[in-house]
Amino acid sequence: MLNETANSAASDAARWPSLIEAVAARRDREAFATLFEYFAPRIKTFMRRAGASEQSADELAQEALLAVWSKAKLFDPASVGATAWIFTIARNLRIDALRREKRTRTDSAVEIDPEFHVDDGPQPDASLASSQLESRVRSALAALSEDQLRVVELSFFEEKAHAEIAQALRIPLGTVKSRLRLAMNRLRGMLGDLS
Amino acid sequence: MTIHHHPPEELLSGFAAGVLDLGQHIAVATHLVACRHCRGTVQAFEHVGGTLLAGLPPTEMSMQAFAMVEARLSDGPSLSTTKPSLPNAHIADVAGLPPFVMNYPAGSWKWIAPKMHLRGIQLPEPSETRVFLLKSRPGTKMIEHSHTGFEMTCVLSGSFAHAGGHFGPGDFDFGDGTVDHEIVVDSAEDCICLIAMQGALKLNGVIGRLLQPLIRM
Repeated sequence: MLNETANSAASDAARWPSLIEAVAARRDREAFATLFEYFAPRIKTFMRRAGASEQSADELAQEALLAVWSKAKLFDPASVGATAWIFTIARNLRIDALRREKRTRTDSAVEIDPEFHVDDGPQPDASLASSQLESRVRSALAALSEDQLRVVELSFFEEKAHAEIAQALRIPLGTVKSRLRLAMNRLRGMLGDLS
Repeated sequence: MTIHHHPPEELLSGFAAGVLDLGQHIAVATHLVACRHCRGTVQAFEHVGGTLLAGLPPTEMSMQAFAMVEARLSDGPSLSTTKPSLPNAHIADVAGLPPFVMNYPAGSWKWIAPKMHLRGIQLPEPSETRVFLLKSRPGTKMIEHSHTGFEMTCVLSGSFAHAGGHFGPGDFDFGDGTVDHEIVVDSAEDCICLIAMQGALKLNGVIGRLLQPLIRM
Protein backbone atom coordinates (compact mmCIF):
# COMPACT_ATOMS: atom_id res chain seq x y z
CA MET A 1 0.00 0.00 0.00
CA LEU A 2 2.93 2.28 0.58
CA ASN A 3 4.04 1.53 -2.95
CA GLU A 4 0.67 2.46 -4.41
CA THR A 5 0.66 5.79 -2.67
CA ALA A 6 4.34 6.55 -3.10
CA ASN A 7 3.79 9.15 -5.78
CA SER A 8 1.03 11.04 -4.05
CA ALA A 9 2.97 10.78 -0.79
CA ALA A 10 5.94 12.44 -2.43
CA SER A 11 3.88 15.32 -3.80
CA ASP A 12 2.08 15.73 -0.45
CA ALA A 13 5.43 15.74 1.28
CA ALA A 14 6.42 18.70 -0.82
CA ARG A 15 3.43 20.83 0.15
CA TRP A 16 3.08 20.14 3.88
CA PRO A 17 6.05 22.30 4.93
CA SER A 18 4.78 25.34 3.06
CA LEU A 19 1.33 24.92 4.59
CA ILE A 20 2.79 24.78 8.10
CA GLU A 21 4.92 27.81 7.36
CA ALA A 22 1.86 29.68 6.09
CA VAL A 23 0.16 28.92 9.40
CA ALA A 24 3.21 30.16 11.29
CA ALA A 25 3.84 33.31 9.31
CA ARG A 26 0.33 34.47 8.35
CA ARG A 27 -1.92 32.49 10.66
CA ASP A 28 -3.38 31.17 7.40
CA ARG A 29 -6.66 29.40 8.20
CA GLU A 30 -7.08 27.92 4.78
CA ALA A 31 -3.69 26.25 4.97
CA PHE A 32 -4.67 25.03 8.44
CA ALA A 33 -7.93 23.58 7.13
CA THR A 34 -5.99 21.60 4.51
CA LEU A 35 -3.66 20.22 7.17
CA PHE A 36 -6.63 19.39 9.39
CA GLU A 37 -8.46 17.61 6.63
CA TYR A 38 -5.55 15.33 5.88
CA PHE A 39 -3.95 14.75 9.26
CA ALA A 40 -6.77 14.83 11.82
CA PRO A 41 -8.45 11.64 10.48
CA ARG A 42 -5.10 9.83 10.32
CA ILE A 43 -4.08 10.92 13.81
CA LYS A 44 -7.48 9.65 14.92
CA THR A 45 -6.63 6.25 13.43
CA PHE A 46 -3.25 6.40 15.21
CA MET A 47 -4.99 7.10 18.55
CA ARG A 48 -7.62 4.39 17.99
CA ARG A 49 -4.89 1.85 17.32
CA ALA A 50 -3.16 2.92 20.50
CA GLY A 51 -6.33 1.97 22.35
CA ALA A 52 -8.14 5.31 22.69
CA SER A 53 -11.95 5.28 22.57
CA GLU A 54 -13.74 6.77 19.57
CA GLN A 55 -14.43 9.97 21.49
CA SER A 56 -11.02 10.43 23.03
CA ALA A 57 -9.28 9.60 19.74
CA ASP A 58 -11.35 12.36 18.13
CA GLU A 59 -10.45 14.80 20.91
CA LEU A 60 -6.76 13.89 20.78
CA ALA A 61 -6.71 14.43 17.01
CA GLN A 62 -8.29 17.85 17.60
CA GLU A 63 -5.67 18.65 20.25
CA ALA A 64 -2.90 17.58 17.89
CA LEU A 65 -4.08 19.93 15.17
CA LEU A 66 -4.47 22.74 17.70
CA ALA A 67 -0.85 22.12 18.66
CA VAL A 68 0.13 22.29 14.99
CA TRP A 69 -1.49 25.73 14.93
CA SER A 70 0.06 26.99 18.14
CA LYS A 71 3.53 25.52 17.60
CA ALA A 72 3.81 26.18 13.87
CA LYS A 73 6.59 28.66 14.44
CA LEU A 74 8.72 25.98 16.08
CA PHE A 75 8.64 23.92 12.88
CA ASP A 76 12.00 24.07 11.14
CA PRO A 77 11.68 22.47 7.71
CA ALA A 78 15.46 22.33 7.31
CA SER A 79 15.92 19.99 10.25
CA VAL A 80 12.76 17.91 10.36
CA GLY A 81 10.22 16.63 7.84
CA ALA A 82 6.65 17.88 8.16
CA THR A 83 5.09 14.46 8.70
CA ALA A 84 7.77 13.54 11.25
CA TRP A 85 7.08 16.81 13.10
CA ILE A 86 3.33 16.15 13.16
CA PHE A 87 4.00 12.56 14.18
CA THR A 88 6.02 13.71 17.21
CA ILE A 89 3.20 16.06 18.25
CA ALA A 90 0.65 13.25 18.05
CA ARG A 91 3.01 10.81 19.78
CA ASN A 92 3.62 13.18 22.69
CA LEU A 93 -0.11 13.78 23.11
CA ARG A 94 -0.70 10.06 23.17
CA ILE A 95 1.99 9.57 25.82
CA ASP A 96 0.51 12.43 27.85
CA ALA A 97 -2.96 10.92 27.64
CA LEU A 98 -1.73 7.50 28.71
CA ARG A 99 0.23 8.99 31.60
CA ARG A 100 -2.75 11.01 32.78
CA GLU A 101 -4.83 7.85 32.80
CA LYS A 102 -2.31 6.00 34.94
CA ARG A 103 -1.70 8.85 37.30
CA THR A 104 -3.10 8.80 40.77
CA ARG A 105 -1.81 12.14 42.00
CA THR A 106 -3.04 15.30 40.37
CA ASP A 107 -0.09 17.48 41.28
CA SER A 108 2.34 15.60 39.14
CA ALA A 109 1.89 16.91 35.64
CA VAL A 110 5.19 16.54 33.89
CA GLU A 111 5.92 18.22 30.61
CA ILE A 112 6.64 15.52 28.10
CA ASP A 113 8.21 17.70 25.42
CA PRO A 114 11.52 18.40 27.20
CA GLU A 115 12.16 14.67 27.39
CA PHE A 116 12.21 14.44 23.66
CA HIS A 117 13.96 17.74 23.08
CA VAL A 118 17.04 16.44 24.73
CA ASP A 119 19.29 18.86 22.99
CA ASP A 120 18.86 22.35 21.66
CA GLY A 121 22.09 22.29 19.72
CA PRO A 122 22.38 21.63 16.03
CA GLN A 123 20.43 18.63 14.87
CA PRO A 124 22.46 15.47 14.31
CA ASP A 125 22.56 15.83 10.62
CA ALA A 126 22.28 19.36 9.43
CA SER A 127 23.96 18.41 6.18
CA LEU A 128 21.26 15.98 5.14
CA ALA A 129 18.18 17.98 4.18
CA SER A 130 15.01 16.76 5.86
CA SER A 131 13.42 16.30 2.45
CA GLN A 132 16.22 13.91 1.52
CA LEU A 133 15.74 12.04 4.77
CA GLU A 134 12.01 11.83 4.09
CA SER A 135 12.45 10.41 0.62
CA ARG A 136 15.05 7.96 1.90
CA VAL A 137 12.63 6.81 4.57
CA ARG A 138 9.88 6.37 1.99
CA SER A 139 12.02 4.24 -0.28
CA ALA A 140 13.40 2.29 2.67
CA LEU A 141 9.87 1.47 3.85
CA ALA A 142 8.76 0.62 0.33
CA ALA A 143 11.67 -1.82 0.05
CA LEU A 144 10.64 -3.80 3.13
CA SER A 145 8.76 -7.01 2.61
CA GLU A 146 5.05 -6.99 3.45
CA ASP A 147 5.85 -9.06 6.58
CA GLN A 148 8.54 -6.71 7.77
CA LEU A 149 6.39 -3.66 7.15
CA ARG A 150 3.59 -5.23 9.17
CA VAL A 151 5.74 -5.74 12.26
CA VAL A 152 7.18 -2.23 11.96
CA GLU A 153 3.67 -0.77 11.75
CA LEU A 154 2.47 -2.83 14.68
CA SER A 155 5.44 -1.80 16.77
CA PHE A 156 4.83 1.86 16.01
CA PHE A 157 1.08 2.10 16.19
CA GLU A 158 -0.48 -0.64 18.17
CA GLU A 159 1.72 -0.59 21.20
CA LYS A 160 1.38 -4.30 21.28
CA ALA A 161 3.74 -6.40 23.25
CA HIS A 162 5.74 -8.70 21.03
CA ALA A 163 3.68 -11.60 22.32
CA GLU A 164 0.47 -9.95 21.13
CA ILE A 165 1.95 -9.22 17.73
CA ALA A 166 2.86 -12.89 17.52
CA GLN A 167 -0.72 -13.82 18.28
CA ALA A 168 -2.17 -11.32 15.83
CA LEU A 169 0.06 -12.51 13.01
CA ARG A 170 -0.06 -16.16 14.09
CA ILE A 171 3.67 -16.55 14.10
CA PRO A 172 5.99 -17.63 16.92
CA LEU A 173 7.26 -15.00 19.36
CA GLY A 174 10.87 -15.57 18.31
CA THR A 175 9.89 -14.84 14.71
CA VAL A 176 8.35 -11.51 15.72
CA LYS A 177 11.48 -10.50 17.55
CA SER A 178 13.84 -11.52 14.77
CA ARG A 179 11.59 -10.00 12.09
CA LEU A 180 11.38 -6.71 13.94
CA ARG A 181 15.08 -6.60 14.56
CA LEU A 182 15.77 -7.43 10.92
CA ALA A 183 13.34 -4.79 9.68
CA MET A 184 14.78 -2.13 11.98
CA ASN A 185 18.35 -2.99 11.03
CA ARG A 186 17.41 -2.94 7.40
CA LEU A 187 15.72 0.45 7.74
CA ARG A 188 18.68 1.76 9.66
CA GLY A 189 21.05 0.47 7.00
CA MET A 190 19.08 2.03 4.18
CA LEU A 191 18.85 5.34 5.96
CA GLY A 192 22.59 5.49 6.02
CA ASP A 193 24.80 7.09 8.60
CA LEU A 194 22.91 10.02 10.00
CA SER A 195 25.23 11.17 12.68
CA MET B 1 33.12 12.54 25.01
CA THR B 2 33.56 9.31 23.13
CA ILE B 3 30.70 6.91 23.54
CA HIS B 4 31.26 3.25 22.80
CA HIS B 5 28.15 1.53 24.09
CA HIS B 6 24.71 2.33 22.70
CA PRO B 7 21.15 1.11 23.34
CA PRO B 8 20.00 -1.66 20.97
CA GLU B 9 18.15 -0.54 17.85
CA GLU B 10 14.73 -1.67 19.05
CA LEU B 11 15.00 0.54 22.14
CA LEU B 12 15.76 3.54 19.94
CA SER B 13 12.84 2.78 17.63
CA GLY B 14 10.62 2.21 20.66
CA PHE B 15 11.72 5.58 22.01
CA ALA B 16 10.89 7.28 18.70
CA ALA B 17 7.55 5.49 18.54
CA GLY B 18 6.80 6.58 22.11
CA VAL B 19 6.03 3.09 23.33
CA LEU B 20 8.66 2.63 26.05
CA ASP B 21 7.46 2.71 29.62
CA LEU B 22 8.46 5.78 31.58
CA GLY B 23 11.45 4.22 33.34
CA GLN B 24 12.98 2.90 30.13
CA HIS B 25 12.17 6.17 28.41
CA ILE B 26 14.16 8.11 31.02
CA ALA B 27 17.18 5.81 30.71
CA VAL B 28 17.26 6.03 26.91
CA ALA B 29 16.72 9.81 26.97
CA THR B 30 19.63 10.14 29.37
CA HIS B 31 21.86 8.41 26.85
CA LEU B 32 20.50 10.55 24.00
CA VAL B 33 21.46 13.74 25.78
CA ALA B 34 25.07 12.59 25.51
CA CYS B 35 24.95 10.76 22.20
CA ARG B 36 24.63 12.59 18.94
CA HIS B 37 24.84 9.38 16.96
CA CYS B 38 21.76 7.88 18.61
CA ARG B 39 19.88 11.19 18.35
CA GLY B 40 20.37 10.83 14.60
CA THR B 41 18.97 7.31 14.69
CA VAL B 42 15.95 8.40 16.73
CA GLN B 43 15.33 11.24 14.33
CA ALA B 44 15.39 8.81 11.42
CA PHE B 45 12.89 6.59 13.22
CA GLU B 46 10.67 9.64 13.83
CA HIS B 47 10.64 10.11 10.08
CA VAL B 48 9.61 6.49 9.76
CA GLY B 49 6.77 7.29 12.17
CA GLY B 50 5.78 10.35 10.14
CA THR B 51 5.74 8.43 6.90
CA LEU B 52 3.70 5.61 8.43
CA LEU B 53 1.29 8.14 9.99
CA ALA B 54 0.74 9.88 6.65
CA GLY B 55 0.01 6.49 5.09
CA LEU B 56 -2.58 5.36 7.68
CA PRO B 57 -6.17 4.94 6.55
CA PRO B 58 -8.27 7.90 7.77
CA THR B 59 -10.95 7.57 10.45
CA GLU B 60 -13.80 10.00 9.94
CA MET B 61 -13.72 12.89 12.41
CA SER B 62 -16.84 13.79 14.36
CA MET B 63 -19.09 16.30 12.62
CA GLN B 64 -18.28 19.26 14.80
CA ALA B 65 -14.57 18.56 15.11
CA PHE B 66 -13.25 21.17 12.73
CA ALA B 67 -15.66 23.85 13.93
CA MET B 68 -14.67 23.20 17.53
CA VAL B 69 -10.99 23.47 16.73
CA GLU B 70 -11.52 26.55 14.60
CA ALA B 71 -13.32 28.27 17.46
CA ARG B 72 -10.25 27.73 19.62
CA LEU B 73 -7.68 29.06 17.17
CA SER B 74 -6.05 32.15 18.48
CA ASP B 75 -4.71 34.71 16.06
CA GLY B 76 -1.93 35.65 18.41
CA PRO B 77 1.63 34.82 17.49
CA SER B 78 2.57 31.19 17.47
CA LEU B 79 4.69 29.88 20.33
CA SER B 80 8.32 30.37 19.60
CA THR B 81 9.86 28.70 22.61
CA THR B 82 9.00 26.01 25.08
CA LYS B 83 10.12 26.66 28.60
CA PRO B 84 10.68 23.48 30.50
CA SER B 85 9.99 23.95 34.16
CA LEU B 86 12.37 22.25 36.52
CA PRO B 87 10.58 22.02 39.82
CA ASN B 88 13.16 19.72 41.38
CA ALA B 89 16.31 21.59 40.54
CA HIS B 90 17.77 20.54 43.90
CA ILE B 91 19.18 17.43 42.27
CA ALA B 92 21.11 19.67 39.92
CA ASP B 93 24.14 18.88 42.08
CA VAL B 94 24.46 15.51 40.38
CA ALA B 95 27.09 15.93 37.70
CA GLY B 96 25.95 14.92 34.26
CA LEU B 97 22.28 14.53 35.14
CA PRO B 98 20.17 15.76 32.21
CA PRO B 99 17.85 18.64 33.15
CA PHE B 100 14.67 16.78 32.16
CA VAL B 101 15.22 14.25 34.95
CA MET B 102 14.78 17.13 37.40
CA ASN B 103 11.12 17.14 36.44
CA TYR B 104 10.80 14.19 38.76
CA PRO B 105 11.13 14.35 42.52
CA ALA B 106 14.16 12.53 43.83
CA GLY B 107 14.81 11.23 47.28
CA SER B 108 18.06 11.96 49.06
CA TRP B 109 21.21 9.84 48.82
CA LYS B 110 20.88 6.76 50.97
CA TRP B 111 23.75 4.64 52.14
CA ILE B 112 23.15 1.12 50.93
CA ALA B 113 26.52 -0.56 51.28
CA PRO B 114 30.11 0.41 51.93
CA LYS B 115 31.10 2.94 49.26
CA MET B 116 27.65 2.90 47.68
CA HIS B 117 24.77 5.34 47.79
CA LEU B 118 21.44 5.19 46.08
CA ARG B 119 18.97 7.93 45.24
CA GLY B 120 15.53 7.02 43.98
CA ILE B 121 13.75 8.95 41.25
CA GLN B 122 10.05 9.04 41.97
CA LEU B 123 7.95 8.38 38.94
CA PRO B 124 4.52 10.01 38.91
CA GLU B 125 2.83 6.91 37.60
CA PRO B 126 3.12 3.24 38.25
CA SER B 127 5.85 1.91 36.01
CA GLU B 128 7.17 -1.60 35.79
CA THR B 129 10.60 -0.06 35.73
CA ARG B 130 12.28 1.50 38.77
CA VAL B 131 14.66 4.38 38.20
CA PHE B 132 17.44 5.39 40.56
CA LEU B 133 20.86 6.94 40.70
CA LEU B 134 23.70 4.86 42.03
CA LYS B 135 26.88 6.45 43.29
CA SER B 136 29.91 4.28 43.89
CA ARG B 137 33.28 5.26 45.28
CA PRO B 138 36.42 4.54 43.25
CA GLY B 139 37.50 0.95 43.53
CA THR B 140 34.05 -0.35 44.45
CA LYS B 141 33.53 -3.93 43.44
CA MET B 142 29.91 -4.58 42.94
CA ILE B 143 28.29 -7.81 43.80
CA GLU B 144 27.70 -10.29 41.12
CA HIS B 145 24.08 -10.46 40.27
CA SER B 146 21.66 -11.51 37.65
CA HIS B 147 18.14 -10.25 37.18
CA THR B 148 14.85 -11.64 36.09
CA GLY B 149 14.01 -8.62 33.95
CA PHE B 150 16.38 -6.15 32.37
CA GLU B 151 18.63 -3.41 33.59
CA MET B 152 19.61 -0.27 31.73
CA THR B 153 22.55 1.70 33.03
CA CYS B 154 23.62 5.06 31.72
CA VAL B 155 26.87 6.47 33.07
CA LEU B 156 26.63 10.11 34.20
CA SER B 157 30.14 10.51 35.56
CA GLY B 158 33.11 8.33 36.39
CA SER B 159 33.48 4.89 34.85
CA PHE B 160 33.21 1.17 35.49
CA ALA B 161 34.22 -2.00 33.75
CA HIS B 162 32.88 -5.52 33.50
CA ALA B 163 33.36 -8.45 31.16
CA GLY B 164 31.32 -6.63 28.50
CA GLY B 165 33.70 -3.68 28.28
CA HIS B 166 34.58 -0.32 29.78
CA PHE B 167 31.82 2.21 30.40
CA GLY B 168 32.38 5.95 30.75
CA PRO B 169 30.11 9.04 30.67
CA GLY B 170 27.25 8.63 28.19
CA ASP B 171 27.78 4.90 27.73
CA PHE B 172 24.69 2.72 27.89
CA ASP B 173 24.79 -0.76 29.32
CA PHE B 174 21.86 -3.01 28.54
CA GLY B 175 21.60 -6.17 30.58
CA ASP B 176 18.77 -8.52 29.73
CA GLY B 177 19.18 -10.91 32.59
CA THR B 178 21.30 -13.43 30.75
CA VAL B 179 24.60 -12.07 32.03
CA ASP B 180 26.12 -12.08 35.46
CA HIS B 181 27.96 -8.86 36.06
CA GLU B 182 31.01 -8.36 38.14
CA ILE B 183 31.53 -4.67 38.09
CA VAL B 184 34.55 -2.66 39.14
CA VAL B 185 34.48 1.12 39.43
CA ASP B 186 37.79 2.12 37.86
CA SER B 187 37.60 5.92 37.74
CA ALA B 188 39.52 8.16 40.12
CA GLU B 189 36.30 9.95 41.04
CA ASP B 190 32.88 8.65 42.05
CA CYS B 191 30.95 6.80 39.41
CA ILE B 192 27.34 7.96 39.17
CA CYS B 193 24.91 6.07 37.00
CA LEU B 194 21.24 6.37 36.20
CA ILE B 195 19.70 2.94 36.28
CA ALA B 196 16.33 1.70 35.08
CA MET B 197 15.55 -1.77 36.27
CA GLN B 198 12.70 -4.12 35.66
CA GLY B 199 12.10 -7.40 37.36
CA ALA B 200 13.65 -8.64 40.54
CA LEU B 201 17.33 -8.65 41.21
CA LYS B 202 18.69 -11.94 42.32
CA LEU B 203 21.47 -10.83 44.56
CA ASN B 204 24.15 -12.99 45.98
CA GLY B 205 26.06 -12.50 49.16
CA VAL B 206 25.63 -10.45 52.29
CA ILE B 207 25.61 -7.06 50.60
CA GLY B 208 23.10 -8.39 48.15
CA ARG B 209 20.72 -9.24 50.92
CA LEU B 210 21.21 -5.77 52.39
CA LEU B 211 20.61 -4.13 49.04
CA GLN B 212 17.58 -6.16 48.09
CA PRO B 213 14.93 -4.46 50.21
CA LEU B 214 16.32 -0.99 49.49
CA ILE B 215 16.31 -1.38 45.78
CA ARG B 216 12.69 -2.41 45.73
CA MET B 217 11.28 1.08 46.03
